[in-house]
Amino acid sequence: MTDDYEHYEAVVVGAGPGGAAAAATLARNDIETLVLERGTDAGSKNVSGGLVYAEESSPYTIDDLFPDFREEATDRAVSEHYIHNVAGRSVKTFDLHDLHHHDTEWADAVLRRKMDSWLARRVHEMTRETGGGLLTEVRVNGLLREGGEIVGVTCDEVDPIRADVIIGADGVNSELARDAGLMDWEEPEEWFQGVKAVVDMPEGAIEERFGVDEGEGVAHLFSGDLFEGARGGGFLYTNDQSLSVGTVFHLDSIAEERHEPQELLDNLLTHPLLADWVGDEYTELEYSAKLVPDSKKVAHPSPHRDRLLLVGDAAGQMQAQGPIIKGMNHAVTAGALAAEAFVDAKSRGDTDKAGQHYESKLETEGVMDKLRPTRYATLGKLGELGPVDSLSDALVDSPVGRLGVGLLGDSLERLYNSPFLVGMLPDTKLGYVTLPTVIAEELGEPVAGENTVEPPELDDRIGDLTYDIDEGNPHIELRDNSFTASGTAVTACPVSAKDFGGGCYRDEYVTANGGEEHVVSLDTQPCVECGTCAVVADTDWTHPRGGKGVEYKQG
Amino acid sequence: MVEIDPTELEIAELGPKITDVDDADELREMLAREEDGEDRAPVTTLIEDRIETVEGDDGEADPESVDLSELTVADIANMVRDIDDIDVLEDLLEREKAGEDRKTAKSQIESRMESVEGSDDEDGDGPEYVPPEEKHPDLDHPTADKQWVEGTQDGDYRDMWVYCETQHGELIDVSREMLGKGRELMDDYNDQYDESEDLVAVLIGDDVADLAEEVIAFGADKVLYHEDDRLDRFRHNPYTEIMTHMARAGGQLAPEGYEDVDWKAYDEPRYTVFPATNNGRDLSALVQGELDSGLASDCSGLYIENAMISNPAKTGVPGDSKEFERILHMKRPDFSGFEYSTILCIDKPFRDFHPQGASVIPGSFEVPEPDDEREGEVVEHDMDLDDEWFAVDVVDYDTLDSGVDLTGHDVVVAMGRGIGRSPTEGIELGLELVEAFDDAAFGLSRGVITSSYSFDGHVEQYIGEDRQIGESGQVVEPDVYIAAGISGAIQHKVGMDESDTIIAVNTDPDADIRDFSDYYIQGDLFEVLPRLTRAVEEGDLAAAVAGASDD
Repeated sequence: MTDDYEHYEAVVVGAGPGGAAAAATLARNDIETLVLERGTDAGSKNVSGGLVYAEESSPYTIDDLFPDFREEATDRAVSEHYIHNVAGRSVKTFDLHDLHHHDTEWADAVLRRKMDSWLARRVHEMTRETGGGLLTEVRVNGLLREGGEIVGVTCDEVDPIRADVIIGADGVNSELARDAGLMDWEEPEEWFQGVKAVVDMPEGAIEERFGVDEGEGVAHLFSGDLFEGARGGGFLYTNDQSLSVGTVFHLDSIAEERHEPQELLDNLLTHPLLADWVGDEYTELEYSAKLVPDSKKVAHPSPHRDRLLLVGDAAGQMQAQGPIIKGMNHAVTAGALAAEAFVDAKSRGDTDKAGQHYESKLETEGVMDKLRPTRYATLGKLGELGPVDSLSDALVDSPVGRLGVGLLGDSLERLYNSPFLVGMLPDTKLGYVTLPTVIAEELGEPVAGENTVEPPELDDRIGDLTYDIDEGNPHIELRDNSFTASGTAVTACPVSAKDFGGGCYRDEYVTANGGEEHVVSLDTQPCVECGTCAVVADTDWTHPRGGKGVEYKQG
Repeated sequence: MVEIDPTELEIAELGPKITDVDDADELREMLAREEDGEDRAPVTTLIEDRIETVEGDDGEADPESVDLSELTVADIANMVRDIDDIDVLEDLLEREKAGEDRKTAKSQIESRMESVEGSDDEDGDGPEYVPPEEKHPDLDHPTADKQWVEGTQDGDYRDMWVYCETQHGELIDVSREMLGKGRELMDDYNDQYDESEDLVAVLIGDDVADLAEEVIAFGADKVLYHEDDRLDRFRHNPYTEIMTHMARAGGQLAPEGYEDVDWKAYDEPRYTVFPATNNGRDLSALVQGELDSGLASDCSGLYIENAMISNPAKTGVPGDSKEFERILHMKRPDFSGFEYSTILCIDKPFRDFHPQGASVIPGSFEVPEPDDEREGEVVEHDMDLDDEWFAVDVVDYDTLDSGVDLTGHDVVVAMGRGIGRSPTEGIELGLELVEAFDDAAFGLSRGVITSSYSFDGHVEQYIGEDRQIGESGQVVEPDVYIAAGISGAIQHKVGMDESDTIIAVNTDPDADIRDFSDYYIQGDLFEVLPRLTRAVEEGDLAAAVAGASDD
């Protein structure tokens, strides 16, 4: 009897910023709210590049919803923002001051374990008042349906739970979004993959090396020829006592060209430009990875079905347009709007309308236009068509193009600072690689530093992570182990590599039926749950059970 | 005319609507309709409840004039709760006696009078004992004929008894864990209450006397054991009889002939602790039941302290809290595992709940370091075992396959993904090397077990998780560990780096394993292992390794 299932007015799946914003807004409106988090602690499953923004134009910011957020949960306030165009040792730096400050109330560097676990404690206090609360180590594994309608969630650890609204804030690999048929894992070009190293800094080093005051921080972006032609770039953010150094690439670029993401990260870490910042003593606190949805392509225009409302990465709400990388703030806005939509629907006596209200709020509050700019839809996509792209690629690289770059000189900096132009950039080599390289070659100055950093090998990076292995219950299964179907994962998976036996995906030759077959084998022990192989290999992909799998300490 | 016709509605729809109806007559009409129609039980109950609520609101009955015969006992109970005037209550009692004279109604009024006036007992003896058969004549009392159902009263209890389960003549780990925890608890207990009570270990089996010394080394002050050939396997009937017999000897419920024993002079143990194993759960429930006490099963934490209790069933006096001393607090995970409950087993008036008993989840406590110098008293328990207790016999049993134990060998040969070029041959070479030693075991790295290598049938039996060495497999520390084709990731290292001598064979001079090997042989295991095997057979492994090693 389904009537016996426990019922809450609202169930929020996932205690990241989107889920926390939704839960807080629901609780403020006296909605009985249960929050379910699969990690052993909120934040233990979360990774982000590390900048959270508060936008002036946004109806909600995270510190509106959680007073003291900046004092308690964030690291340094980022006041300076640069992009470095790199060609070999030659570097041309642009100050992104205007772009950074456009529509920005503040931007802070964060580490997700610290941030999310702080949010979760506030959320628990608030939702407990409504008769709910936050439970960790519970993995929601699907949707509960009655007569084909979504009415609740099913979990690994507890009985199904019914709810009048389900906020799916379960992240980029949302199993709820896939169960509802709203998102898929089919096309590599719809995703970015990010990998990150959190690097320990001695006391006082950040102030000295970056020339900032205590509590103040810097953001640096990197593009050009240091990533072997992969489309994407790098970043470096200053935390209180550490640096977040990472790289983000279009997943199709990683997949097609068989790049090893950890090596591309190492290219950045060992570049002379970083020598003075990283210093001689390199201590990597944590290696991590995640998929990032490309909102231009996958931000769902109608992210709801029945009682399910998707927010944040689960709905593809991650804005990555050139140097603009914003995800958490949109998740917060969407979470609060979803909650608001349910409150409206309830007060109008028809909670089933929550999804529609949510959809129109995303439009009217301007969230959708940030995520899927119409100018990209018309102009940017044109640039991605093969002939146009290679033409402009060749043009920029031609003597004429180079002359143009040379003449434009520092006025290029102005162009980079235009949110309008940046939103229009096509996702091609032109913007990520060719143009920055040409800029660096034509305008750049050589950097002098000697970088002595030796980043850890992949086996040590894995060895330093904390795992609670669910022995005998691998959460990912290979549907097709032929190298043709799943071999891309050997290189694209951030904890696997060619000729490395300690990773998730290993390529192997086995003799069968008299012939030799090229296959891959999978061991989920080192898995960091990023979701890359769900896209590039043929798998049945789920998250581990509650509390199991990787546990990030930094995030 | 009714506004809501229940026969047209589902119960889920009716529920919220019916709360708007305040007219009892209208509700009665609805009830009649439903009864004429489908007559759904939940619907009639719902309507009847509503009628009751509505009528209940219809003015409070005046206790001084109300006709008691029109009230149910529950109504009377509710009414008297608000009356503080003893005269009114006395009047009510008289009228009930003159009228219906319902025993339950009278007791409700009387108990209220008692609360208002305070207890009649000037000397504060508390409530008067009424046997359950008299107190609740309307119930059958299936346990009335159980010999000791009243159990002990105001008994004398001492000591903590730990049932030490054995298997194949050895203590199992949880027995050691309980002894360690019990020792700690009783040391604190004796300090706190200025007592000198003992930790008593109970051993039952066919050959358990030899374990007495070990049990004392792990913390027992006294060992009570019972040996009999027929007790070779756990059978709950004789085991229960024996332990119950031990617990009662020398006390008020002592069996005939055991009224005075020189090893015990109290009624029953104060505390009993059992392992929450299959057999331990069985025994604990039976023994505690026989002793007419309670049991907190599957506990993961134990401590002893005083407890303030206000439950009148325990204190005998409503409204007052009373401090109960020396209470064993038994912490157990609840069903979901999210929360813990702490179970207390406390005496109540006229019935003692002793021993306070718990069963303990294996692994909850540390295995203590044995102290071989410890001394203790060993008592052989003696009683006749009735043949009938053995009516159920074990005719057959099977040992579950416990997998492969790689520990406790002189040598472990472990193979890694270096065998990838020809997996079957690689395993064969490893097995040949194992054979060459007198006492060697064969292990694998996780990388081999999770691979898609195809192995020929004759070596396939050696490929399985039960041979895995490392973080998620077995941890070994043999005299000699030979790692062939293993790179030595941290997950593997933690499973073997306590080995005395580590010999690594690997083609990659940068492999991590070189950093924590005593001997590193750079080479292809397909060439190196046959040479090692020959060297072992010829008895000069050490020379061969030293010669080949780069380190």
